[in-house]
Amino acid sequence: MEEIKVDKVMDLKGLPCPMPVVKVSKGIKEVQVGQVIEAITTDPGALADFPAWARTSGNEILKTDQGDGVIKIYIKRDK
Amino acid sequence: MDTQTREDLLKLFQSKLNQAMRLYLETCSRCGTCTEACHVYASTGQVKHIAAYRHEIVRRIYKKYFKGQGKLASALGEPKELTELALEELYEAAYSCTGCRRCMVYCPHGIDTQMLMSIAKLLLVGANEEPEILSMLADSSIEKGKSLDLFKEGFLTAIKNLESQVVEKWQVEAGQNPIPMDQEGADLLYVALAGAHSIIPAAAIFNAAGENWTLSFFEAVNFGAFVGDPSRTKLILDRIINEAVRLKVKEVCICECGTAFRVMKQLSGKQPFKVSSITEVHARYLREGRIRLDKEKFKDPVTYHDPCQIARNAGVIDEPRYILQNLTHDFREMTDDVRYNWCCGGGGGLVALGEDTLDFRMKSAKVKVDQVQKTGAKILATACENCHTQLSNLNDHYQMGMNVQFLSSMIAEALVQ
Repeated sequence: MEEIKVDKVMDLKGLPCPMPVVKVSKGIKEVQVGQVIEAITTDPGALADFPAWARTSGNEILKTDQGDGVIKIYIKRDK
Repeated sequence: MDTQTREDLLKLFQSKLNQAMRLYLETCSRCGTCTEACHVYASTGQVKHIAAYRHEIVRRIYKKYFKGQGKLASALGEPKELTELALEELYEAAYSCTGCRRCMVYCPHGIDTQMLMSIAKLLLVGANEEPEILSMLADSSIEKGKSLDLFKEGFLTAIKNLESQVVEKWQVEAGQNPIPMDQEGADLLYVALAGAHSIIPAAAIFNAAGENWTLSFFEAVNFGAFVGDPSRTKLILDRIINEAVRLKVKEVCICECGTAFRVMKQLSGKQPFKVSSITEVHARYLREGRIRLDKEKFKDPVTYHDPCQIARNAGVIDEPRYILQNLTHDFREMTDDVRYNWCCGGGGGLVALGEDTLDFRMKSAKVKVDQVQKTGAKILATACENCHTQLSNLNDHYQMGMNVQFLSSMIAEALVQ
């Protein structure tokens, strides 16, 4: 897979519910359409929350990585 | 506001007018007993935060459109037109109220401010004037229910990655799954939040108690309730009900989340399972001797903040105290009567609105800070994610020097193997 160019990194580790999604939904507005956010979280629920949020907000999850208790989610702003 | 929009909003208002709501709208005698009951008024002294003032905005719209007085002799009853300005006032009233219902226990007529604010919130939803964040969170929760298959594998992997941390807290037998998922025939379905802190301690305690349990795919919190939209509240609730029915569980246990528990307990209707808060389940394990706790684990004095939606509004009062008797030698009550305990100031969706409400939340909860500090305790325990976040924010803002803890995390730390 082609390497993803990240435009903004958001460290969301250890935040209480529902702050990871709330912060990403705000953060996506700070990048241009077509740009990518790398969201770093420790919440297992993010694996469900982020794709659901992306579908309802019209954005795209490009990739998720899991390892060492840290989850990285790459989100492309589509609109 | 155009005529069609107003008519549509009045239909929504009408949909809330059951017998109880009409009673709340028609019986306020403006006696003022509720004045000091609201933590926001008690902390800020602003008249607009008196409970009766909040309801009066809704009540005057009711009088204008649903009572003869308002329709025929508007000048007599101070009726209020439903306008853009009225919507702004409704927003101010509804989103400065945490729905804690402390005013209700003082009110001689038992007027339920939270219910009246639910009219305000529904009108805001109808006018697309509700907080965007809460709507977004509610829509995401519903989407999750529709697209379970899309995220199932990733979520299962993430849960698998937590297993070693669960085993660190409680060693399971060889071959036993530390975090069982999708187990048909389990006795108990545990519904957690997104964070690992909501899953790991709970899993260790279930395993210590020998519970036949399974973890839900869904998060417990109901953002439809926070935003005051009955349709979305039901859709979010139905995801969990359908999962519980599919797995044929006997009990649905809701994590430390006040709104999640109250909504599941009071709005899920008659189901083939019972609904419990995790605090009730933990107290049961202790009473039945299924878990034992090391009472020396926490040496500092402990106080407990009763989450409004779990204690005052859902009756779970004795159970946390029974747990604390088994957890510490020095438990200190905040108040003589839990029904009159101060709200933390974070409910009603205010914590979910994050930094947008931080300044208001800090100013409006000064009475809570004073109440906590008066106990002289060093550990501040609670059993709600919202309350924990708000109390942690207060702890930082007012430099209280408290150790804010989830009750379930303390139990997991003190488990005797």
